Amino acid sequence: MLDPETERSTIRRARRGDREAIAELIRAYQRPLEAFLFRLCGKSELAEDLAQESFVRVMRSLDRFDERFRFSTWLFTIGKRLLVNHLQKMRPTADSEVVEYRAGESNTPQAELVEAERTGRVSALVGVALDSLVSPQREIVLLFHQQGWSVQQISRELSMPEGTIKSHLFRARRRMLEAIERSGVKNPEEVLR
Amino acid sequence: MSPDGERRFSQRAERVLVRVLLALRREARPHSADSRRAEELADAILSDFPRRILPFGMAALAVIAVVCAAPLLRDLAVEHGVSSGGVCAVAVVESGLRGRSAEVSDGVDALRAVVAPFSPGLVGGASEALPEDARDESNALPKEASAPFSRS
Repeated sequence: MLDPETERSTIRRARRGDREAIAELIRAYQRPLEAFLFRLCGKSELAEDLAQESFVRVMRSLDRFDERFRFSTWLFTIGKRLLVNHLQKMRPTADSEVVEYRAGESNTPQAELVEAERTGRVSALVGVALDSLVSPQREIVLLFHQQGWSVQQISRELSMPEGTIKSHLFRARRRMLEAIERSGVKNPEEVLR
Repeated sequence: MSPDGERRFSQRAERVLVRVLLALRREARPHSADSRRAEELADAILSDFPRRILPFGMAALAVIAVVCAAPLLRDLAVEHGVSSGGVCAVAVVESGLRGRSAEVSDGVDALRAVVAPFSPGLVGGASEALPEDARDESNALPKEASAPFSRS
């Protein structure tokens, strides 16, 4: 994530059509946005498409961006709206199979296999934990734990009091703990090594 | 359950939750592999820019053309007697000129009235309105005085 000053100057350059500035903004926020959307919808391809569409829309209306706010807040709001619109258009199908999320680069085929196995397990556990959450809790957990937003920032974004956000986070952690216990993970140290 | 009614979770579950939340955090970290995709998307977005700017450019050009052509159009309208607001432009110009010429002729009359007492040849006008003795005075002027140069 870019610091606020760098973000502002990059946005100004991007407004003038600076290709490198546009690429810089995309590089900084593409993966976080995809990860957020993936954990909301459970489909990596859809998350990728929606993230791209979000960037296209944001760049088209960059002139309207109010620099008092964070770019990420605006981008994530658009991404979430696109997802909601998509889910409203397409009848949502229950995706019980947790899609393995891209784990990044590995050096050797063996390391790749080990990495895939490990991240696959982690991804499954993350999926189990997140599936136990209801709608606002899931989003709040993702924004706080996945995106690293502050309670204050989430409160502004979701138009909820900070106390409500904290309460949702507390309840969400309890629900996730219950789900993990129900999942019967025998040896978490091995699974999450 | 704890004595205060709150459910206690096993240490194992709590450890797993911490690991799960850390894994969740890792998912959002940009990777070096994202760079190529970012470049591609930036190119795609930029290639869309001219198509967006084109309509605005065309509109701006049209406005400039209209503004520049406005005086020419106005002249053409006058030439062809095109009326503006129901009044013929030529008629307006003509009446204006007539008014101006009437003012000029009034001015000439006024000057003539001032000059008349000093020019006996001038007939009519203000010279007739002069008092009797003043008229005699002007007649009594020596001939030399009325002639600017002495006769040789």
